[in-house]
Amino acid sequence: MVTGLAAGEARLGWSLPGATLAHVHGVLMVSAFFGTVIGLERAVAIGHRWAYAAPLSSGLGGLATIAGAPVAGAALLVLAAALFGAVNAVAAHRQPALFTVVLLCGGLSWLVGGLAWLATFDATAAVPWWAGFLILTIAGERLELSRFLKPGRWRVPSAAVVMGLVLAAPLAGVIGPAVMWPLWGAALMLLTVWMLVNDVARRTIGQPGLTRYVAVCLFAGYAWLGIAGVTALLLPVGAGGMVYDAVLHAVFVGFVFSMVFGHAPVILPAVLRVKVPFLRLYYLPLALLHLGLALRVAGDLGGLPEWREWGGLLNGVVIVLWIVTTAAATIVATRRRAAEQARTRPAPADAS
Amino acid sequence: MNEDEVRQALRAVIDPDVGIDIVEMGLIEDIAVGDGRVAVDVIMTTPICPQGEAIRDEAESVLRRAAPAAAVTVRLLTEPMWTPDRLGPAARARLGWG
Repeated sequence: MVTGLAAGEARLGWSLPGATLAHVHGVLMVSAFFGTVIGLERAVAIGHRWAYAAPLSSGLGGLATIAGAPVAGAALLVLAAALFGAVNAVAAHRQPALFTVVLLCGGLSWLVGGLAWLATFDATAAVPWWAGFLILTIAGERLELSRFLKPGRWRVPSAAVVMGLVLAAPLAGVIGPAVMWPLWGAALMLLTVWMLVNDVARRTIGQPGLTRYVAVCLFAGYAWLGIAGVTALLLPVGAGGMVYDAVLHAVFVGFVFSMVFGHAPVILPAVLRVKVPFLRLYYLPLALLHLGLALRVAGDLGGLPEWREWGGLLNGVVIVLWIVTTAAATIVATRRRAAEQARTRPAPADAS
Repeated sequence: MNEDEVRQALRAVIDPDVGIDIVEMGLIEDIAVGDGRVAVDVIMTTPICPQGEAIRDEAESVLRRAAPAAAVTVRLLTEPMWTPDRLGPAARARLGWG
């Protein structure tokens, strides 16, 4: 992930060691980093050893890409996405429901994106599919949690239509980008509205501690998803231009990373079997993440390249800072717990 | 420890996604107490929930603290499937079922 971030900063013009990898920033962040993290989470969830082959393959694909073997890297990432699709198929078989189908569609979107990357090495061809992978993975999980709310007649049918549109938009790319981007923007706007109406976070944001923090991360993410949708609907998204940069980073940083910040203290205990304490300090990197992105998007849309560069740099620094903060808090809490257990453990009986 | 005390102890295990304890969420399938043993069966809201093992560990840890002399086992079941009907009254009130 750090290499992917450095490559992203290099794309913005900062002199960092990742300069030679600037063209693979997208594939490293989405397929290698998120593919590995989400693949691990899903492997833990279904509990089959073979499921770990997906994150292993995406991790190796990322390393091969960094090492300068792009074809081998892309092929390993396609293999990872195919294995991940199989994992999701097992999940959908275990619990046939719309949310497991949405998760499966997210995995297939990653596979199509991976094939597009392998065929063209052009991120603009793959990126709507990569985005679909992450958006549908998050949407599927939120759809599952929406079952905690009082049942509504239209919740599931409307989710099927809106989440289907997220996949339909990249398909419309065969007609042309002039059709695809506005359709994608409309899909993201509708998904934002669906989330705001149906997410259980509406009810949990009033609770204290970690639960409120997760809800705040979610709503901040939905704001950026909506901004990405409106921008893609109303402005021409030229490949690689400023609007393109604004739309994609509103989704990948604003929506996805906000979810990651909120989800990590919940999911790390499941994946790594460590307890991650909640600290109010976590709100600081979250606020800085959104501040950096606001700078970047304002720079993109306002024609201010320096704002875009500083905003992008702030985002990269904040993500690293957040990892260090979370890791340090976890290590300190683990040591304290071990010391506490040692203090309260009964002394062994005298053998004499 | 009786069944009610076990249930009360398990209320300390909170699902962080919704901030509600696993008893109110309807995740407790069975509790058996007797002969110095406490055995609890739990389900998750979905059998593909990655938090299953973490919640099981937490439940075991809470019960061991509450009943240090007992042999505690918590099993994670994949069936029956959780449905919203299993939510307790306090959870429903908090989640706006009104």
